[in-house]
Amino acid sequence: MNSIIETIRTDGLRQWLPLATLILLVILVGAFQPAFLEVNTLLQLASDTAVVFILATGVTFVIMLGGIDLSIQSMASLSSVAVALTLSRFGYGAFVFAFALGAVAGLLSGIAHVRLRIPSFIATLAMGGVLYSAALVTSRERSITLGDSDRAYLGWITGTVFGIPNVVVIALIVLAIAHVLQSRTRFGRYSAAIGAGEPAAYASGVKVDRQKIIAFVLSGACAALAGIVLVGRLASGSPTLASELLLPSIAAVVVGGTAITGGVGSIWRTLVGALIISVVRIGMTFLGVNIFAQNIVFGVVLVAAVAITIDRSKIPIVK
Amino acid sequence: MSVTQLHPAPRPAPTPAEVLPPALALVHVDKRFPGVHALKDVSIEIRPGEVVGLVGENGAGKSTLMKILSGVYQPDSGDILLNGSKTRFVSASDAMRQGIGMVFQEQSLLTNLTVGENIYLGNEKQFSRFGIVDWRALYAAASRQLEKVQIDADPRMRAEDLDFAARQMVELAKALTLEENAPGHLVILLDEPTSVLERAEIDILFARVRALRARASFIFVSHRLDEVLELSDRIYVMKDGAVVADLVAAEANVTQLHHLMVGRSLQAEYYREPLQVPYRDEVVLELEGLRHAGAYRDIDFKLHAGEILGIAGVIGSGREELTRTLAGFAPHDGGKLIAHGKSVTLRSPAEAVDIGVGYIPRERRVEGLVLFLPVAANITLGDLGTLTKHGLIDTREEKRLAQEWVQKLRIRTPGIHTLCLNLSGGNQQKVVLAKWLNAKARILILDHPTRGLDVGAKEEVYELIRAVTAEGVAVILTSDTLEETIGLSHTVLVMRDGVITHRVGAEPGHKPQQVDLIGHMV
Repeated sequence: MNSIIETIRTDGLRQWLPLATLILLVILVGAFQPAFLEVNTLLQLASDTAVVFILATGVTFVIMLGGIDLSIQSMASLSSVAVALTLSRFGYGAFVFAFALGAVAGLLSGIAHVRLRIPSFIATLAMGGVLYSAALVTSRERSITLGDSDRAYLGWITGTVFGIPNVVVIALIVLAIAHVLQSRTRFGRYSAAIGAGEPAAYASGVKVDRQKIIAFVLSGACAALAGIVLVGRLASGSPTLASELLLPSIAAVVVGGTAITGGVGSIWRTLVGALIISVVRIGMTFLGVNIFAQNIVFGVVLVAAVAITIDRSKIPIVK
Repeated sequence: MSVTQLHPAPRPAPTPAEVLPPALALVHVDKRFPGVHALKDVSIEIRPGEVVGLVGENGAGKSTLMKILSGVYQPDSGDILLNGSKTRFVSASDAMRQGIGMVFQEQSLLTNLTVGENIYLGNEKQFSRFGIVDWRALYAAASRQLEKVQIDADPRMRAEDLDFAARQMVELAKALTLEENAPGHLVILLDEPTSVLERAEIDILFARVRALRARASFIFVSHRLDEVLELSDRIYVMKDGAVVADLVAAEANVTQLHHLMVGRSLQAEYYREPLQVPYRDEVVLELEGLRHAGAYRDIDFKLHAGEILGIAGVIGSGREELTRTLAGFAPHDGGKLIAHGKSVTLRSPAEAVDIGVGYIPRERRVEGLVLFLPVAANITLGDLGTLTKHGLIDTREEKRLAQEWVQKLRIRTPGIHTLCLNLSGGNQQKVVLAKWLNAKARILILDHPTRGLDVGAKEEVYELIRAVTAEGVAVILTSDTLEETIGLSHTVLVMRDGVITHRVGAEPGHKPQQVDLIGHMV
C-alpha cells in the first residue's frame, strides 16, 4: 500500500491518465448504450479482454527490461494449431504440449537475442516468421475445427464458476502470478533495473542475460496460453487465429502506461490498457466501424500512447 | 607574481587590444544543479586575440563553464556579453552561429565519414542546390580549411584513417569554418585538446593556435598546467565553482597554480590521515604475473584486509584496464588472480561480486546507479539473494535495511523511495557505497570515487573510506589526482606502459612526494 502511495507521489498525474481514460470511456459508451453497463455485457467484455490481456502480460515482461517480442501472435496461432492437432491423441496433454512449445520458442528467441547479440525485435520478428510457417505447414494451411469428442476437453476454458466465465478466472490467475513475479521476486526487480539502467544492473552483478531469457520464455508461454484459450472459445485451431492480435496487445501494454523504453511499468497498467483496448473495440462496434478498420484505430492509439507516456527529454536519440 | 583577487580586478597597463570590448565575457554567472552549486558568481572575459587558460580540479566547474559558453547549458542568472553586447546562447548551434567554436576532448568526429564531410557536417547547405550536394565544391572548401591548420590530409579520406593528432587538427579546422558562417571575431573553446597528443603533435597544435590569433580568441582547458602556462596569455583558476584567481601567464608557475587550485593547507587533515590505521596480515586478493595483452603485464601484488592500495599512472599506463579486470569487465589472459586461496578468472561483474568485489565506477550515473529506481532498490541491488525467502523478496526487511544504510552513511534523501536521479552527486556515491557494504563486499574497487563531487562531499567520502577500511574492507583506488592517491593510500603502485614501475608505502607522516611518483609515471 505504501509503495502505491509512493509511486503516485513520484510519478504524479501521468500515472492516473490510463485509468481515468478507461473510466471516461466506460461512461461514454454506457451513455450511448446503457445495455453496456449490464453485468452480462461487462462479463462478456472481460471474457473478450482475456486473450489480449494474456498476450500483453507476456510481452510486458519483455518490454519492462527494454526489449520487444513481435512473435506472440504467431506463437498463439501455432499453439492453437498444436492443440487442435493433438487434442484427440493426447487429451489434456495437448494443452501442456502447446504451452511447452511456447516456452521453448521463447527460450530460443531469448538465446538468439542475448547470445548472438541480435536486437530483440529482429530475433522475434524472425521467430514469428518461423512459427507462422510452422503453423501453416502443420495445419496444411487450413482451419481445424474440433469434433464433439475433442470439445469435451474444453470445459475448463468454456465453463463458468459462480457465473464468472472460466476465461476470466484464467486471466485473473495470470494477473496474480504476473503481479507476484514482477513486484516480489528477484526476476521482477532485476527486470526493472535492466530496463531502467542496464549498465548499472550489469555492474552490480545482475546476470542480465539470464533475466532476459526468462522474460522471453514467459512471453512465449503466455502467447501459447492465449492460443489455448482461443481454441477453447472458438472450438478450432488455425494458423491465422491470432493474426490481428499483435498490435492491440502491444498497444494495451503501452496505453496502460508501461514505458516502451523499459524500466517503468506494471502488470496492473497492462490490465487497464487491455480493458481500454476492449472498450474502444466495443465502442467502435456500437459506432458501426468496420471490424477490419479497427487496427487503424489501434495503430493511431499506439503511437499516441507512446508519444504521451515517454518523457522525451530523457531520450535524445531514438533508433 | 600577480595573483589578483577578482573584485575589483586591477589589470596590467592597457594594450591596444584592450581598448576593444572583450570578444566574450561572462558577468556574474550562476548555475545550480540538484545538490550542487556548480558556478558561483563567475565573471571572466576573453579579449580579442587572446588565449585564456582555464584550470581547476575536477568538479571545480570548468566543464559547466564551457557548456555555458558553448550554449549547452543556460546560466540561472548573470549575462553573456559578445563583443560588448548582451546575448544568449539558446543551443550549441545557436552559439556556433554567433561565432563560438568548440574542439572537444573526446574525439567528436564521425569516423565512418570523410574528413570533408566531417568538417561541413550540418553545413552542407551552402554547397547544395535543390538538395543535391556539390561534393567537388565541398571538398575544395574542406581543403582550404585543412590548409589553415596546415595538415596534409586528403579531405576525401575517412576520418578513421587519420591518427589522433590529425583528427584533433581536423576538429580545429571544423571549428574554423565558422569564419565563413559567423560574423565577426571567433572564440574557440579548446577542451583538453592535448590529452591524446604526443609532444611533437602538441607543438604543432600550439603553433596553429598562435598563428590563428588574428582571427580568433581561444579558451584553453587542460589538466597539464605546464601546457596551460606555455600557451596562454592569461589564466583563470577555478575552485569549487568560483574563479579564485586571474593571472598573467608569463608571471605564474606550476606550483602557484596548483596551490591555487587545491587551496588547502591542512592536506593530511583533508584526507583523514589521522584515521589511517595499519592494514591487517590477511591477504584478500593476490595477483601473480597478471597479464592482458596490449594493456598490462607482469602485475604482482598482494592486497590485504583494511589496505588502501592506490594505483597511479597516466592514460595508457594500463591501470584503467587492470581495474576493469578486477571488477569483472575484461578477464585477464595470463598470470594468476587468487582470491580465497583459489585461482579465478572474472568473466563478468557477477563473478567478481561472488568473490566479494564491489565496483564503484567513475561513470556513477551510468554504471553505479539505476537512476530511475528508488534509493532502496539501488541499495539492495547487489544482494537481493539474502533478502529472498521462498522465492519472494522480503520487502519489509528491505525497507529496514535501506533505512539503516541511509542513516549510517548519512545519505541525504527525502526518503528511501526517492529515485536516485534526484540525489546530489555525493549522496548518489553514498548509495553506491551502501550497495556494496550491504552486499558485504570485502574488496572495493574505487574508480575515481570523488569525480564530480564538491569539496564537502569529497570529505564525507574520504571519511567513509577510512571507516570501512578500519573494519577490514580492502580498497583498490585509482584517482584523478596524485594528491588524492597519496593522501588516502597505505601503498601506492605506479604503472607505466602496462607494468608496475614503482611501489612505495604511504604511512601517515611518511607519505611519498608527488614529484617522486611522477618520475616513474612518465
